[in-house]
Amino acid sequence: MMARLRTVKRSVIALLVVGAAACDATPPPVGMERGEELFETCAPCHGDAAAGDPKIAAPAIAGLPQWYIQEQLAGFQGGFRGRHADDLPGLRMRPMAVTLNREGDIESVAEYVASLDPVFPASTLHGNAGAGANSYIVCVACHGADGLGNPDLHAPPIVQLDDWYLLAQLRNYKSGARGTAPADVWGTTMRVNTLAMDDQAMQNVIAYVQTLR
Amino acid sequence: MVPNLVQASSYASSIDGLILLVAVFVGVGFIVAEGMFFWLIWKFRARPGEKSQYLTGSEKHVKRWITIPHGLVLICDVFIIIGSVRVWYDVKQHLPEADSTIRIIGQQWAWTFQHPGADNELDTDDDTFTVGDLHVEVEKTYHFRLESRDVLHSFSVPVFRLKQDAIPGRSITGWFRPTVTGEYDVQCAEICGIGHGVMAARIHIEDANQHAAWLSSSSAATTP
Repeated sequence: MMARLRTVKRSVIALLVVGAAACDATPPPVGMERGEELFETCAPCHGDAAAGDPKIAAPAIAGLPQWYIQEQLAGFQGGFRGRHADDLPGLRMRPMAVTLNREGDIESVAEYVASLDPVFPASTLHGNAGAGANSYIVCVACHGADGLGNPDLHAPPIVQLDDWYLLAQLRNYKSGARGTAPADVWGTTMRVNTLAMDDQAMQNVIAYVQTLR
Repeated sequence: MVPNLVQASSYASSIDGLILLVAVFVGVGFIVAEGMFFWLIWKFRARPGEKSQYLTGSEKHVKRWITIPHGLVLICDVFIIIGSVRVWYDVKQHLPEADSTIRIIGQQWAWTFQHPGADNELDTDDDTFTVGDLHVEVEKTYHFRLESRDVLHSFSVPVFRLKQDAIPGRSITGWFRPTVTGEYDVQCAEICGIGHGVMAARIHIEDANQHAAWLSSSSAATTP
């Protein structure tokens, strides 16, 4: 009888210890470990390797610069991305970004995503790269002749982005679904450059960008 | 008061009354039944030399312990059914004349609201679209057209005691009349994917002046 009581007592103590450990809400320190943990929220859409999924309009983000991912997440949180009725993929992304609400969350997940092997998704559009080369002259000032971007001008490396994603964003800029919020200073600059482009011109310039890889 | 217990619509109190009615009937029944249960356990506890009995329940004096409570439950049910039908008719069957009509669109994982402009007509050029913020005027009756762009959602405003499923391919009409000014939660009450838990919005219930000011300051219309 006493032996059984001792066993029950030990079991209860063990359960309490395990329970207390499970309730410990202390997050890992800011950095890769926390970023990897947070990335579990992103993986269902962007994939385990962050290679994206065009079927649900989730772009490849693996290996994009940390500063760019941070800025976009901050934009989603700040409400100047993913808060327009036309931007359905953005509307899906914004609540996910809002969950990164502890200090250092955005930096951590951005660091982790930036550390992943970059992917260069295959082309899905059929623009005229030759015609697009002329249009790209306007883009060179910020995105560079090689399309690798310029952090000082908040211009991302567009060679790495899905072509369908680039087209969707150019359309968003033109329609005003993106780049109209006063807080989105760099988006406003980008929007101005899309206003004169029709859909074919957008596809052409994207086709040219794909040749820069 | 707990924010979500505020009664901010014309029918919130009647829904609360119905819930209270059910709670009182069930609560009283539970307490009496449990009291009787433990009293019987104590009264007929094991005693030395006394054998237990097998009761078939066929004798009248035994059977009445079932039939009388059963009859009382049925009487309670009648009151609950009468109350439910009245509330259901008021909230779901009866559509009072609208002062204004809005469109509510659910999509993973945001609420888009289409407000009529100065002409008070929906689907005209001066409509205002907002994501995550619904603006309404207190003491005005609103019809809403609820739609979904992708999967099942449920438009829920706890302070209104309003919850209505949104079904892809359908436009569901409902109504509400805000009675208290303030800013309250809107949520999705139907599991709709990984972001369901953060599919939230706010409803701003404004007086006439505040609402007119918001309407005039709201951005130009955009078409979704």
